[in-house]
Amino acid sequence: MRGRGDTMVRVAPEDTPSMAHRAGLPAKFVPATRNIVDGILRRRNVTDQDAPDTRSVMAYAADNTARTPVVLALLIAITASHAAKATDRTPTAVDVYPPQIQLTTSRDHQSIVVQAVFADGITRDVTDEAAVAVADVGIARFDNGVIHPVADGATTVAAEFAGLTATVPVEVAQSAVDRPVSFQLDVMPVFMKAGCNSGSCHGAARGKDGFRLSLFGFDPQGDYFRLTREVPDRRINLALPAECLLLGKATGSVPHTGGTRFDVDSPYFQTLLRWLQAGAPRDAGVIPAVDEVKIYPPGAVLDGPGASQRVIVRARYSDGTTRDVTALAFFMTNNDDAAPITQQGVVTAKNRGEAFVMARFETHTVGTHFIVLPSNLEFQWTEVPELNYIDTHIHAKLRKLRIRPSQVCTDEEFLRRATLDITGTLPTEEEYRAFMASDDAEKRKRLVDELLQRKEFVEMWVMKWAELLQIRTTPQMSYKSMLRYYNWLQERIAGNVPINQLVKELLASVGGTFANAATNYYQNETDTLKIAENVAQVFLGMRIQCAQCHNHPFDRWTMDDYYSFAAFFSQIGRKQGEDPREQIVFNAGSGEVKHPVDGRVMPPKFLGGDSPDTAGKDRRAVLAEWIGSTDNPYFARNLANIVWAHFFGRGIIDEVDDVRVTNPAVNPELLDALAEKFVEYQYDFKKLVRDICTSRTYQLSTVTNESNANDLSNFSHAILRRLRAEILLDAISQVTDAQNKFRGLPLGARAVQIADGNTSTYFLTTFGRAKRETVCSCEVSMEPNLSQALHLLNGDTVHSKIQQANQGNVVDQLLKQGKSTREVVEALYIRCLCRTPTDEEHAAVEKVLAEYDDPKLGLEDTFWALLNSREFLFNH
Amino acid sequence: MPARLGDVTKPHAARWFDFLVETCPMRSCKQQLAGVGGPVICWFLAAACVSAASPRLSHILPRGMRRGEDHVLAFHGSRIGDAQEIFFYEPGLETVEIKAESDAVVRATVRVADDCRLGEHIAQVRTASGISDFRTVWVGILPVVDEAEPNNQFDAPQLVSLNVTVRGVIDNEDVDYFAVDAKAGERLSVEVEGMRLGTTLFDPYVAILNDKRFELAASDDSPLVQQDAVAGVIAPDDGRYFVEVRESAYGGNGNCRYRLHVGTFPRPTGVYPAGGPAGAQMTVRFVGDPKGDIEQSVTLPGEPTLDFGLIANDPGGAAPSSNAFRVVAFDNVLETEPNNSAADAAATELPRALNGILHAAGDVDHFQFGAKKGQVFDIECYARRLGSPVDAVIHVLDASGNTLIGNDDSRGPDSYLRFTVPADGNYVVRVSDHLQRGGPDFVYRVEIEPAAAALTLGIPRVERYGQYRQTVSVPRGNRFATLVSASRANFGGDLVLEETALPDGIHITADPMPANLNVMPVLFEAAADAPLGGKLVDFTARHADASQNIRGGFLNQADLVLGPPNQSVYRRCEVDRLAMAVVEHIPFKLEIVEPKVPLVRDGSLELKIIVQRDEGFTAPISVQFPFRPPGVGTVPSVTIPEGQNEVVYPLNANGNAQIGPWKVYAIGSADVKGSAWASTQLASLTVAEPMVTVAMPRSACEQGQTVQILGTLNHVRSFQGQAKAQLLGLPAKVTAPDVEFDSQTEQIVFEVAMDPSSPAGTHRNILCRVTVIQDGEPIVSRAGTAELQIDKPLPAPQDQPAPVAQTPPAEEPDAKPLSRLEKLRLEARQRKARQGAKETGGGG
Repeated sequence: MRGRGDTMVRVAPEDTPSMAHRAGLPAKFVPATRNIVDGILRRRNVTDQDAPDTRSVMAYAADNTARTPVVLALLIAITASHAAKATDRTPTAVDVYPPQIQLTTSRDHQSIVVQAVFADGITRDVTDEAAVAVADVGIARFDNGVIHPVADGATTVAAEFAGLTATVPVEVAQSAVDRPVSFQLDVMPVFMKAGCNSGSCHGAARGKDGFRLSLFGFDPQGDYFRLTREVPDRRINLALPAECLLLGKATGSVPHTGGTRFDVDSPYFQTLLRWLQAGAPRDAGVIPAVDEVKIYPPGAVLDGPGASQRVIVRARYSDGTTRDVTALAFFMTNNDDAAPITQQGVVTAKNRGEAFVMARFETHTVGTHFIVLPSNLEFQWTEVPELNYIDTHIHAKLRKLRIRPSQVCTDEEFLRRATLDITGTLPTEEEYRAFMASDDAEKRKRLVDELLQRKEFVEMWVMKWAELLQIRTTPQMSYKSMLRYYNWLQERIAGNVPINQLVKELLASVGGTFANAATNYYQNETDTLKIAENVAQVFLGMRIQCAQCHNHPFDRWTMDDYYSFAAFFSQIGRKQGEDPREQIVFNAGSGEVKHPVDGRVMPPKFLGGDSPDTAGKDRRAVLAEWIGSTDNPYFARNLANIVWAHFFGRGIIDEVDDVRVTNPAVNPELLDALAEKFVEYQYDFKKLVRDICTSRTYQLSTVTNESNANDLSNFSHAILRRLRAEILLDAISQVTDAQNKFRGLPLGARAVQIADGNTSTYFLTTFGRAKRETVCSCEVSMEPNLSQALHLLNGDTVHSKIQQANQGNVVDQLLKQGKSTREVVEALYIRCLCRTPTDEEHAAVEKVLAEYDDPKLGLEDTFWALLNSREFLFNH
Repeated sequence: MPARLGDVTKPHAARWFDFLVETCPMRSCKQQLAGVGGPVICWFLAAACVSAASPRLSHILPRGMRRGEDHVLAFHGSRIGDAQEIFFYEPGLETVEIKAESDAVVRATVRVADDCRLGEHIAQVRTASGISDFRTVWVGILPVVDEAEPNNQFDAPQLVSLNVTVRGVIDNEDVDYFAVDAKAGERLSVEVEGMRLGTTLFDPYVAILNDKRFELAASDDSPLVQQDAVAGVIAPDDGRYFVEVRESAYGGNGNCRYRLHVGTFPRPTGVYPAGGPAGAQMTVRFVGDPKGDIEQSVTLPGEPTLDFGLIANDPGGAAPSSNAFRVVAFDNVLETEPNNSAADAAATELPRALNGILHAAGDVDHFQFGAKKGQVFDIECYARRLGSPVDAVIHVLDASGNTLIGNDDSRGPDSYLRFTVPADGNYVVRVSDHLQRGGPDFVYRVEIEPAAAALTLGIPRVERYGQYRQTVSVPRGNRFATLVSASRANFGGDLVLEETALPDGIHITADPMPANLNVMPVLFEAAADAPLGGKLVDFTARHADASQNIRGGFLNQADLVLGPPNQSVYRRCEVDRLAMAVVEHIPFKLEIVEPKVPLVRDGSLELKIIVQRDEGFTAPISVQFPFRPPGVGTVPSVTIPEGQNEVVYPLNANGNAQIGPWKVYAIGSADVKGSAWASTQLASLTVAEPMVTVAMPRSACEQGQTVQILGTLNHVRSFQGQAKAQLLGLPAKVTAPDVEFDSQTEQIVFEVAMDPSSPAGTHRNILCRVTVIQDGEPIVSRAGTAELQIDKPLPAPQDQPAPVAQTPPAEEPDAKPLSRLEKLRLEARQRKARQGAKETGGGG
């Protein structure tokens, strides 16, 4: 059974690998015989009528659009046969959170959550069902899920459920003292929780309805001023605190565009009222900073829709105290479909899937991992071979999700996939035949090793880095400068310079833009803040742009972090070089970045790290050293993720340059392992590529089974990936043996070799080539669209390349070699699709070819149809 | 060719082309025309079929020659068909034969001596009618092969043997590949001359690749050769290696010629020390070669020499180009490490050249010297100018380590500063790299010597970027004058030209150049029987006070390659002698009719220039007046119309024109199949004070009336006879008759008549021109200015009875004309008197 017939739809999970290979791809995708034949006929129509077959074009676009990965949609297919519900079972453990309780001052309190864990990993919130008791009720009391202080001292609180007991210690201090209300610690969080200082309300740059608060509270002093001093006697009224405009608006007792934010009975109202009653004091002395925020429980596996789990959030301050800030935290989830959360912190399971549930307090965002399974799930993990550590981590996660990975792909698929991914080229007919003929058990490994030695591998990564480094001509950068920059990159990558070394050379570069082309990094962008943003995004994967104007709403970065990071780039000097076209970049040794709110000179500080000693040093060199070192927790992970994403079409963190607390890795253990290996390999990413390409995970088939059919993010099967613009054009040029010509490059240059981001062709632009105007990974568009399909069908690229090749066109050449029609068809299939045609395909093609008077014309049309087939356009 | 001309299928221009081919009388030209395809070229050549003046040279092909061989060089340009000689500025090149192929191409067989200096040489064509621009041609040591296209594919390179010079061209987006076979351990060096050839903006890139297409060495620019490239490797294995040449940004065009030297020769990137005292025998060390340092003994020229270079030699061959080397009048001091702090600096005497290498990143070198208060030293660092990577920064520190003065880039990347010693004591010079770089070839040299006087002569440019008329071509029996400029460094004073050997038959005339001027006119005359011929003249001047012992010679820089941004100069070359020639007779001769009267300050003079035309020569002649005494201005040029024999050149002097006698000249050109130039004699022109000035008060009157404008004369010098004063610049419909006066007159009055429609307002640009006739020639000056206010009459008051006509009180019979102010005062007095009378009447 070589089921590529149009009746072939889906391979059953029990199919042998060989059958799966022949089945190859889902029917929607496979350019089965019908596709090819249709293609030939379609081309005839096009030729005859000069009009495209709009229906087919639409189908093409629609098919592929539908299959585009949907962000964060994780649907786990699992067969359900678990007999008993979790509620009926006995848990293996019961946990109480938080693990310690510390109550300081009389108003302090701490809510607790009790979680039961069952043998199959399912968890259940049993806070209401468990028997909770405080050991010494003279120290603390338990009331409706909350522990309150009674007197100073230490005791424990125990929770008992289903015969299991968990105990946590409780410490009470200053129980007789009432902590005075603080503007920054108590009042500001209310504005955050109630949404007052959000961007759509008073946090807007010009405020709202005449009143402005700093966005997400980045400027407490300014907020205090605006509340108490800006319009005297209007916003607050110390004589009649409860009657003032501030409270009236918030509770809706006077008209408020933003509606009622909280009611009079709420703790938020009480906090504001207490502050006003105290005379709206400005905080005195040192205000404790929030050092750490934790969310509990650390994870949950919910059994079926409707199961719920409450979460609690606790903050630790720099003075050593803790506070239960569950009521003040802002809750979010990254998958509303699976695990929505209320602003009271209650997650209620909805559909199957996984979610990252997050709480934001002050500038901290923390998350906890939730999995929602269908009720009564039965899942049996069958052992799958693990070729290296990558498979170990992938399988571990899949087990958790009750997903079975697909079968391994065929040799043909692997040859095409690896050659395209590693070198950006298609295997030649000779390579195909040699690989298929080899019976070496290790031939896949050998292929990877061989491909990694090719210059095309270097060129592919030069192209990718060129996108990250925005290599393109600008008014500040001449074509020569740009080309020097590109060649510098190429030399580094060809020379296997460790990536951390490359980054050090780049960021700490000094010298002429010709002599040391790495300095073009600072010519391309001369704005200090932009340089800092680009460095953070490219090398650390972080988008810190938000923090230029306000604290980052979805990450931990504050304005202080932003400007302290930018201070690394404030001392770049530039002068005219000896060549009139050249600039010299050097360390000027002076220049500072000031905080825009209060004009403070910001000392250089690593993102999420220390303030290094930069006195007398080139600040950029200090930063480059840190970025390229293991002190920096982001760099190796980020680069490993970028490499991973190239081979799988999506990152472990996706997008690769959007690393933030609120966008967690789908498999952090895998990412950590890759990062560790990357460091172990001395940042030689070639070795990382070898690990990836020889893993079983990389070799998985695109054919799915019931359990992973809907998985798009956990790498349980290969995902179809449209060839990116440059590689597609090179592939077309390669199989048609027709050379490209690009501006500013010699004839025959490949599209991946285009040095200048501004050099493009209609084809490349249509297929989403990056212009390198920004560092964003989103510049490369992989989305299929109608104009791509139209261009392939009607445009001059495919047609003219089939017609015009170097020495006679390919079909001519093949016929001149004395090949029969059948052999030519086979050669064309191998060239384009890296496989031989099935018998059915042969038969169908022959039938169509018989209608041609000139077999050459028919074969050219076959060639055209192959190049227009989806199998050609996708890596699978 | 009526049949051809009637051929409608050919484009119009092409038909003309055919026509010209058939009708051109010169056989070689006909052949040339038949070989080219464009009508534009056709017109150009058609005009060039006879010899002509103002020859221009655009380039010389091939761009290089090999030492010890004869080569045929093609000199390409325009109007060089009558070429007679090639001027080479250095020995070692000799013209064996010269043959004009057309007016645009001259082929000369040139013999390159065995000991000819390697590198750039300058050549210039002397024709029977002029001297061309100078251009460069290169001399190398390796046998020459030509590039053979197609060699654009790595897979299909051109195979060449080692130790050759390849002559090639890079077209747009062209890449040339050459393959050589080398043995393991053998040095494989490449050097490409592209920008240095000075043809066009061509920035070459060169790379040595292995058979897997990986670059073993690549070079785009190099401090040693600027935009050109050098690269070298030790071959890792026996095998085939590939040399890639292209434009660094994949540009290129038919003019992007290169000379690629490929071989086993040494290619050091520096020499240490990079200079020495004239006449010395010394050992130098070439650094930066892939095979390691090369020591070599050298003997330096006996005199300080600019542009001296040393060629590195070793068993692998000789470097294709030299390493620049300073030959100066004083001794070297070599650094002794450690000298990384001022405390470690070794003491030295001055003047000296301090030599060192910034061995490693962060290296800083210090040297110490003693000096007396008030001494002035020029401290000049040579690094990049010698091909070193160092971007030098120099500082002078006092004994306690405080920085007194510093400089980074006053000489391009190199540094220069003038240090005036503040007090007796020891001082330290610190040398570092701007980017704190260092390396084995980071050679530098700091020359410290007392600030010395220096003088350079030149001929100011006529073309902004070209060399036109920066030579002296004197037509037989005619004259040629030029401006000579002088640049005085560290001194002032008058200059005089020194006697020198000129081409036979040329006579030179020049007055001393005054201290306050930096240009002077110099006249060259050739006898009618002077032989056609020319030479490169050592053209020098000295301080007028011979005891000062200040002299200097001619220097001219030509911009060979210009490019973005803003027409920056990428390649220039210099000559230190003035090309001079006696050229063929030209059919006109110019002469200034010397004025008998001076040009006075604020005055003007019409200088008459006459032309003696040969029989039948009627072409118009464009005349310029290049030398203008300070404060004297004129128009850029005037033209003697066709067939006419004189023209007036209007000169004017401003109020500060420098008074005194001056020598001036005019120079004219006519199209004698190319512009032929001849000048007048050096004529005397005196700038003097004006004879008389006129002070005129402001005046006002109403439309339709007449006003007197009074002028008070100030006689600066007396004159004979009558002078005439005119008001110029009067508003429309205002007239004033001229006034005559003599040297006794103190006041003049202009009767200025208004029309009722004369424009109301204040008119300020009214001039009084005074013309004094002396010796029958006018001395014209702008003697004063006047301001005239014209008012509209006041409307008659309507609610009052018409004023009774009163007889105005009889004016006092004083003939003295009243100024406006006096009139106003008078009116006020009269008004007061009337008022007083009225009041008196009322009270009575």
